[in-house]
Amino acid sequence: MTAALRLLAAVAMAAAAALGAAPAAAQTYPSKPIRLVVPFPPSGATDIVARTLAQKLGDALGTSIVVDNRPGAGGTIGSDIVAKAAPDGYTLLLSTTSTHSIAPSLYAKLPYSVERDFVPVIHVADATNILVVTPSLPAANVRELIALAKAKPGALNYASSGNGTIVHLTAELFASSAGIKLTHVPYKGTALALTDLMTGQVSILFDNIVSALPHVRDGKLKALAVTSARRSPLVPEVPTVSESGLPGFVSDTYFGVFAPAATSPEVIARINAAINKVLAAPDYQERLATLGAQAAGGTPEQFAAIVRSETAKWSRVVKESGASAE
Amino acid sequence: MDLLNHLALGFGVALAPVNLMYALIGALLGTLIGVLPGIGPVATIAMLLPTTYALQPESALIMLAGIYYGAQYGGSTTSILINMPGETSSAVTCLDGHQMALQGQAGAALAIAALGSFFAGCVATVFVAAFSPPLSELALKFGAAEYFSLMVLGLLGAVVLAHGSLLKAIAMIVFGLLLGIVGTDVNSGVTRFAFGIPELSDGIGVVSVAMGLFGFAEIITNLEGKEKRDIVAAKVKGLWISKAQFRAAWPAVLRGTGLGSVLGLLPGGGAMLASFASYALEKKVAKDPSRFGKGAIQGVAGPESANNAGAQTSFIPLLTLGIPENAVMALMVGAMTIHNIQPGPQVMTSNPTLFWGLVASMWVGNLMLVVLNLPLIGMWIKLLQVPYRILYPAILLFCAIGVYTISNATFDVIQTAAMGFLGVVFVKLECEPAPLLLGFVLGPMMEENLRRALLLSRGDPTVFVTRPLSLVMLLMAASLLLLIVIPNIRRRRADVFAEEA
Repeated sequence: MTAALRLLAAVAMAAAAALGAAPAAAQTYPSKPIRLVVPFPPSGATDIVARTLAQKLGDALGTSIVVDNRPGAGGTIGSDIVAKAAPDGYTLLLSTTSTHSIAPSLYAKLPYSVERDFVPVIHVADATNILVVTPSLPAANVRELIALAKAKPGALNYASSGNGTIVHLTAELFASSAGIKLTHVPYKGTALALTDLMTGQVSILFDNIVSALPHVRDGKLKALAVTSARRSPLVPEVPTVSESGLPGFVSDTYFGVFAPAATSPEVIARINAAINKVLAAPDYQERLATLGAQAAGGTPEQFAAIVRSETAKWSRVVKESGASAE
Repeated sequence: MDLLNHLALGFGVALAPVNLMYALIGALLGTLIGVLPGIGPVATIAMLLPTTYALQPESALIMLAGIYYGAQYGGSTTSILINMPGETSSAVTCLDGHQMALQGQAGAALAIAALGSFFAGCVATVFVAAFSPPLSELALKFGAAEYFSLMVLGLLGAVVLAHGSLLKAIAMIVFGLLLGIVGTDVNSGVTRFAFGIPELSDGIGVVSVAMGLFGFAEIITNLEGKEKRDIVAAKVKGLWISKAQFRAAWPAVLRGTGLGSVLGLLPGGGAMLASFASYALEKKVAKDPSRFGKGAIQGVAGPESANNAGAQTSFIPLLTLGIPENAVMALMVGAMTIHNIQPGPQVMTSNPTLFWGLVASMWVGNLMLVVLNLPLIGMWIKLLQVPYRILYPAILLFCAIGVYTISNATFDVIQTAAMGFLGVVFVKLECEPAPLLLGFVLGPMMEENLRRALLLSRGDPTVFVTRPLSLVMLLMAASLLLLIVIPNIRRRRADVFAEEA
């Protein structure tokens, strides 16, 4: 299908939905439980964000929200389920940067299109990553790390949780922003990568702040910087990468809610307002903080803009790093 | 003392009411399937894996471990009373245990089996607690090259110790390695052998492989066989052993415990190997070997202690190195991964409650088993009378539900059914699926470490022989290979395993 045809089809579908049941349904929405698909396994960060949100959102909307974990293929299986679901507001997706801003440029054959099949509902939260190095590495801050890498191009190894993950691409973004060359050593997940980082088998890792922090406190890892725009309240003493010599460097993971593309604007507005209310609650913000994340919020349009700019950023990194799968 | 602090922490976890309950469930289930001939611990753990998903990781592993050593207790009951091994690891117990039962000594045989197991369980618990910390300390020095060499050693060990045809064992391991290749390559992100099926891009699920090959296949082939379990003749009365019997048995218990503890550590080892080796040892050290097979109490005491000790110490390589050495441990890897715990030397420090809780629960579970089991023997015998045609379809149904719930995917159920079919084919061809599962789990780890070692050495393959630890393990692997190739030893290997026939 050409782009024009695809657009036409999307317009036609949206028009049909708008003319059809949508306005009437919006009056009574929600009249039954809502399914919130999480395309990652239970007990991961996305799942915890979703489950805590589901409880409070259910109260706010006066219905129950059922979290449905559909893991597999880097989150694309669960995302595809929602892409093909009925656009009635009863099937929503809570997903992240990886399925909606990285996957499109990473996989040659993605079963869904982020622009065609989804409408952004709300930006729920941002999670920060932290740059940690093995304690024996002779670099006390980002500037020294860059100088060290420049002295020996390609000699420093960085670990990642797998090819094309945000952990991998953040390191690639860091290397290209700093103009240095690092060698990528992928792991399956960061548990074993952290062990190898502590013993010095590898030197550098950008990890989720919560999983790396205990080791930093034990002195088994050195924290050089956080990847967010502002310092993290969890480690206020650690500077950002941006203030350490790479101005403008930001690499957060966004968590957001998406609905199937033809969902009516009234329903979207309803969910958006309810989630904004949940996000304002201090206890929900505290729960997010324990995951190393900050509550976001805002309008669907603001979230759409974030998805677009993140997609542009990561597609550039994927291309430059050659991480693309096929 | 560190050890005491650790054990205190562990008992704190293991004695928590909820974990006590799961230890009890595991121990009882283990005994149950131990009693039922045809369903082994691998199949049961495979079938229960999905249900542990909703539990705390501590509770999940405590229950699954309970099944493994519970099966060692239960297996002896069937062996002694109806001369049919409930478990392969209790097969040798039939030889003398059933003879004792025929001579009216059923009670004594059951009692010595339980007490020997309990003693071995206690010793093995201390063994695990004492040896794991230094081993995991050593494991932290391991790099990718050492891990790779260790896995080469492990797979070769599995070949040497596999029972049945050597050629078939090798074929099954290679097949397992090939199945392990399916999925996304960690290094390049390219999907291999997924045939455009997105579900396969994460690889074939270990639960599906295990449940299909062991659970489904065992049940299907068991339904083929005729039901003949009405041999229960022996009346069990007086679970007491005489002083003379005790004096005869306790050296055997000690030897069995020691041998089992050591053999449990070996790759490919575990309960089954331990019991066969112990029987052979008892026969060798006995003053009058001709009594064996005619109701020698040592022939029960030794193997039953050894299989329990072996079952427990086989956890050590898993908990300290993250490397499974037999099919049950491969499933434990699956159980840990379900809970997002990567097995490896870091578990002891990052999840101390899990590690020490599991160790302490082994002792707690053994105590439960010895207290509960002897009075419950009558009930276990009743269970043998439930017709298979009712029991098995029910188990099959629960399995299918269990597989579905892991990721709410029908694909997984279909995948398991396909593996079940394959499993039946393997049974017909008399191919052991255990080496396959080991290859399947170890293969991807091995590839990952091989490629990581080469990445870190910038493509220099000599890294495997220039690092001393890696070199030592490769040399050990080479000598194992020699063992297989030298015909003389091959023949002797056949002799050892001939006992089980």
